[in-house]
Amino acid sequence: MLGRRELLKTAAIVVGAAVVAAGGPALAQDQAVQIGLIAPMSGPWARQGELMRLGGELAVKDINAAGGIESLGGRPIELVIFDAGDSAEKAKNAAQRMVSQYPDLVGVTGAWLSSFTLAVSEVTERAEIPMLTLSYSDQITNRGFKYIFQMPMTGNEQAKNAIPALLEVAKAATGEQPTTTGIIADNTASSESFASPIRSGEMDELGLQVKFDETFTPPLADATALVQRARSTRPQFMLMLGTAVPDDKLLLEKVNEFGLGGGRMPIISSGAHMGAPELLKSVGPDLLEGVMTVVGNWAGKGSEEMIARFKEVTGEPWMTQDSIATYGDIMVFKEALERAGKADPKAVADEIRAMDLTDGPAQYYPGGEIKFDERGRNTGADLVIIQWQSGQPVPIYPDNIAVAKPIWPTK
Amino acid sequence: MTENMILAENILQALAAGLLVGCLYGLMCTGLGMIFGIMRVINFAQGDLMMLGMYSTWYLFTGFGILAFMGAIIGPIVAAILAGPILFVIGYYMHKFLVAQVTGIRVAGSEGEGHYAQLILTLGIALILQNGGLIVFGSEPVSIRTPLSSSAVILGPFWGDFVEVFVNKARLVGAGVSIAVVIVLFLFVTRTRIGKALQAAADNSEAALYMGIDVDRAYHIAFGIGTAVTAIAGGLVATYYPFQPYVGLEFVIVMYAGVVLGGFGSIIGAFWGGMIIGLVQQMSTLVLPIQLQNTAIFVVFLLVIFLRPQGLFGRNVERV
Amino acid sequence: MGGSFTKSLGAFALFAAAYVALVFLAPDEYYQLMLTLVLVWAIMGISWNTLSGYSGLISFGHASFFGLGAYTVVLLQVYYGLTPWLGIPLAGFVGALAGVVIGLPTFRLRGHYFALAMLAYPLALLYIFEWLGFQEVAIPMERENPAAYLQFSDMRAYALIALALLACAFVAVRLIESSRFGMSLLAIKQNELAAEGAGIHTRKWKFYAIAASGAIAGVIGGFYAVILLVVTPPTVFGMLTSAQALIVTLFGGIGTVWGPIIGASILIPLAETLHAELGNVLPGIQGVVFGVAIVGVILIAPEGLFWKVRDLLYRRRGADAGPAYTVSDVPLIGERRHDLSGRTMLEVKGISKAFGGVQAVDDVSFTVPEGSIIGIIGPNGAGKTTLFNLLNGFQKPDKGEVLFEGENIVGLRPSAVCQRGIGRTFQVARPFTRLSVLNNVLVGAYVASADDDTALKHAREAIALVGLEGHEDRIAGGLTNIEQRLLELARALAGQPRLLFLDEILAGLGSSEVNAMIAVILRVSEAGKTILIIEHTMHAMLKLADQFVVLDHGSRVAVGKPSEVVRDPTVIEAYLGKKWANRA
Repeated sequence: MLGRRELLKTAAIVVGAAVVAAGGPALAQDQAVQIGLIAPMSGPWARQGELMRLGGELAVKDINAAGGIESLGGRPIELVIFDAGDSAEKAKNAAQRMVSQYPDLVGVTGAWLSSFTLAVSEVTERAEIPMLTLSYSDQITNRGFKYIFQMPMTGNEQAKNAIPALLEVAKAATGEQPTTTGIIADNTASSESFASPIRSGEMDELGLQVKFDETFTPPLADATALVQRARSTRPQFMLMLGTAVPDDKLLLEKVNEFGLGGGRMPIISSGAHMGAPELLKSVGPDLLEGVMTVVGNWAGKGSEEMIARFKEVTGEPWMTQDSIATYGDIMVFKEALERAGKADPKAVADEIRAMDLTDGPAQYYPGGEIKFDERGRNTGADLVIIQWQSGQPVPIYPDNIAVAKPIWPTK
Repeated sequence: MTENMILAENILQALAAGLLVGCLYGLMCTGLGMIFGIMRVINFAQGDLMMLGMYSTWYLFTGFGILAFMGAIIGPIVAAILAGPILFVIGYYMHKFLVAQVTGIRVAGSEGEGHYAQLILTLGIALILQNGGLIVFGSEPVSIRTPLSSSAVILGPFWGDFVEVFVNKARLVGAGVSIAVVIVLFLFVTRTRIGKALQAAADNSEAALYMGIDVDRAYHIAFGIGTAVTAIAGGLVATYYPFQPYVGLEFVIVMYAGVVLGGFGSIIGAFWGGMIIGLVQQMSTLVLPIQLQNTAIFVVFLLVIFLRPQGLFGRNVERV
Repeated sequence: MGGSFTKSLGAFALFAAAYVALVFLAPDEYYQLMLTLVLVWAIMGISWNTLSGYSGLISFGHASFFGLGAYTVVLLQVYYGLTPWLGIPLAGFVGALAGVVIGLPTFRLRGHYFALAMLAYPLALLYIFEWLGFQEVAIPMERENPAAYLQFSDMRAYALIALALLACAFVAVRLIESSRFGMSLLAIKQNELAAEGAGIHTRKWKFYAIAASGAIAGVIGGFYAVILLVVTPPTVFGMLTSAQALIVTLFGGIGTVWGPIIGASILIPLAETLHAELGNVLPGIQGVVFGVAIVGVILIAPEGLFWKVRDLLYRRRGADAGPAYTVSDVPLIGERRHDLSGRTMLEVKGISKAFGGVQAVDDVSFTVPEGSIIGIIGPNGAGKTTLFNLLNGFQKPDKGEVLFEGENIVGLRPSAVCQRGIGRTFQVARPFTRLSVLNNVLVGAYVASADDDTALKHAREAIALVGLEGHEDRIAGGLTNIEQRLLELARALAGQPRLLFLDEILAGLGSSEVNAMIAVILRVSEAGKTILIIEHTMHAMLKLADQFVVLDHGSRVAVGKPSEVVRDPTVIEAYLGKKWANRA
């Protein structure tokens, strides 16, 4: 009982001190217009956050070098980065800090993982700040939110569009359309979103028979049981839907070990992780050759100049979805700011909502068009299919971005 | 292939995978068994010390490339074994300067409060290692590239032209090294003077003290050896499994389950405990959804604690 | 105790006032959220403390209750549109239920096994929830009537609700702390067998504790879901959730309601601030500093800040300790009559127990007349302690009967044996070091007292009987060896036993202390207690016992008057070996 008061006092002082030490709101009235990037900068997905940051920083550099926002008297843009960490909780806390300490933010892009985007957008929605995202899950735009804008096609739509196109490629290569497939998917929102049209029978008209359908929870401890299913049922191609590079490595190596590699069982994946530079480092080019992945964005034809600069500035071997999508998002904000004529998040959101673009920032998105429906989905979005060819992930679809012809692996 | 052939192949494949991964889990558990079994220290940092073992292996082979001259087949294995001595030193001093301050005979009589202290201490160490690892190693997953991890020894066909079993080469080598390390450790503990002193200190620390054994030092050594053994297991796992600084969390539960399954104070028991975890993990996929693979481990773990709390191979029930 | 309860409520009111002030002073919503999270983790720590801090059963699995609570709230709202106002109380119910269900099998385990088994539950649940397809469940945003769904645009509302929840948890836990419930848990923590021996129904209290703990965790988990807005299995079932509950408590102080509050008030803002300020520059720095802080505190203040500060304050106020006990305080008592004519109180008939191949107790029979002091003596390993354990229910005999006042008590739980009027002390004195002498004895008094006032009366009488009057308020940890023995005796006496088992109560005492202890035992006997005492050394017992029962290798080798038994050749042989027996 003794000393409780003293202790309480100490505790209160410590809390108070922490509050003071953390500093009040940042001095916001400097010239730059602030745009937030909230992405995992620490934890297992930090690499993806890093790629987003590289893209975003390049966009800011380009805009400022070209004279900033004209309609605001040439005010420059500043990218403020927030670490979403390794859990939905940390992402949400970071979002809370972002909206309360940076009241002058005009918009936000992020947060890579669908569950982080779901959590962060709960905060930005309440704060009425527009958020652009490259996450695929259809849940994100199914909540009736007004300030979230999903730039890529949802996973669901990607599957519906990509698989028929790929079956055409297969038919051209082998003479007949594949009729059997199998699914290995993790249970994250984006993978589920991609697999759902096949699972729900929405794609029955393709005549695809699903020989096996296995779900795993990442991180995958071991791929033996999963790939054994593929071995014993032998579908003509396989959908391999992970979200993390380590899981991809385990699956690809097991595929090779079980004698299914080298194109014996063509693999189609979803997401940019399958085209990440570190995947190449970790499994090598042989196992990746011919693997295809469906992504929401990728740097391809038409952006050569920017890609070259990106590679030069960052030293990255190629420009992934994460970098170009963030680059594009910053450009979308710039466009909206130019139109709004004021650095106000609501006005920026209104301008984004009213956008109907086929030029300017739209060139950084595969559909070449930006126009949102009432849910915040980009109706002009298209997908990109990339394929590993000779140790490089290259866009093979659609034609306006593709830099190489698709090759259906046959052996 | 007929339905029966597929079934037979699935079962044999799961069995083979379970045995291989079981050997590696067994080695990890043996390391923890030294620490948990002998000193009754719940070391939350064991998984993170294993992570250090994985990174040691990676730096020796890939990062600094010291062992790169040995080639992609021998190099990683030598690197994994060398992770042992490195982590022995770390474990020895970690015990001496940190863990020993709150455990062992010094606090033997202090009414159980010593337990809390060592729990939170090792939890703190785990946090430091995980997050320090993030600063030092970065958060990008790394992996060791060896052709072994994506190729297999094919057994069979056993049934006409069908039913083949694929034995992953990286795991096969890992399993072989694991068994060798466990045998060496067993001989060390039962045949050498230091080993016998460790056993005496484990059985009855006070009596060992009266017999002139430096119990404190014996504990440091046991902790170091336990760390080293788990680190070697980590290095072997690293030859086929990508990892990042948080990887320890994925394995620490497996290790505790294995040690409890095997029973305290028994090196061989801990190995078999890990082996059972590996088998359960693989064989459960034959009947359960793959997502419940790990749930199956916990269920078996709980069943064993309830039905046979001394473990399957343990010598004695924990005294109250 | 009423006084200290009121005092702590006052302290809490101060804390609450300071908290509210901080909430309104906080510059923005981010800090309001941080302040809310401080209380969330303080309450989670209190939940953990309720089970593990008081009872000593360390749980690594509190995320089970927390996660089930969170999912209860979010799933009920998503699928049935149920408001969290109702969902959160339901989450408490789910948590309590989960506690009981988990407790049913798990309470069979002790020590490390209990801790590790608890670890498995949340991890198994994590994978099950992933498998069920609940990997990301968002709380639907209610635009129509947000307040009815616990949705406020002002973050301060959440902070105040958290404070209200903390107040509830605080009062509940303070009530537990200062009642029979809390005392029983402390007794379990100290020594579960001793507690059982003191008549405490340990299993029952453990179930109450895990249910209370689960309910608190369920409620705060449900509340957390409302703040977090998106519930994922790793966030609520992850190891970090259990660890954080444990860390804030251990850091702040274990076994006191203030511990988690202090721990969370320091650690949560520290971690969050570090993450926010340095997370970009040095990813993971918050974890490193957090870890270093924890390691440092543990090495310096292993039971947490609260106790460290309290101990320092106590040391400064040394005067509080009161006068030391001196052996001369014990008045001597006249010559004993060695009367064995009382009616038979305890009759042991042919009792046997073997461990493996060793016959620890072999067909032993004897009787204890009312009012007598019977000494069971024998060399080390003769089976004395095993015999004791058989008599009061700690172990079950292979065969034989133990009749206490005509009733066969074989197979009863130790607490049931105690309730029938048999008390015992243990070979190693185990006082509850943090409690006062009075509270220590009070724990023993509950078994025979219907209400707390009677318990207090019994405790004071017992303290008087052993001569510890005037020492009631001293902290047991500061007692000398003999004082601890006397305390133990008083604790056994407070349970109003008619028959008292004393296990080597003289061992390790100096000769003047032995005399003092003998005087006390004689006085206890004069007060009408029948006493069965085991002792290794015969010498001191000569003055004390009316009759000796001599054991060797598990068998009764002699029984009779002390002066005769010591001349019996078989007894000498048992103690000194054959050589000496022949010479005698």
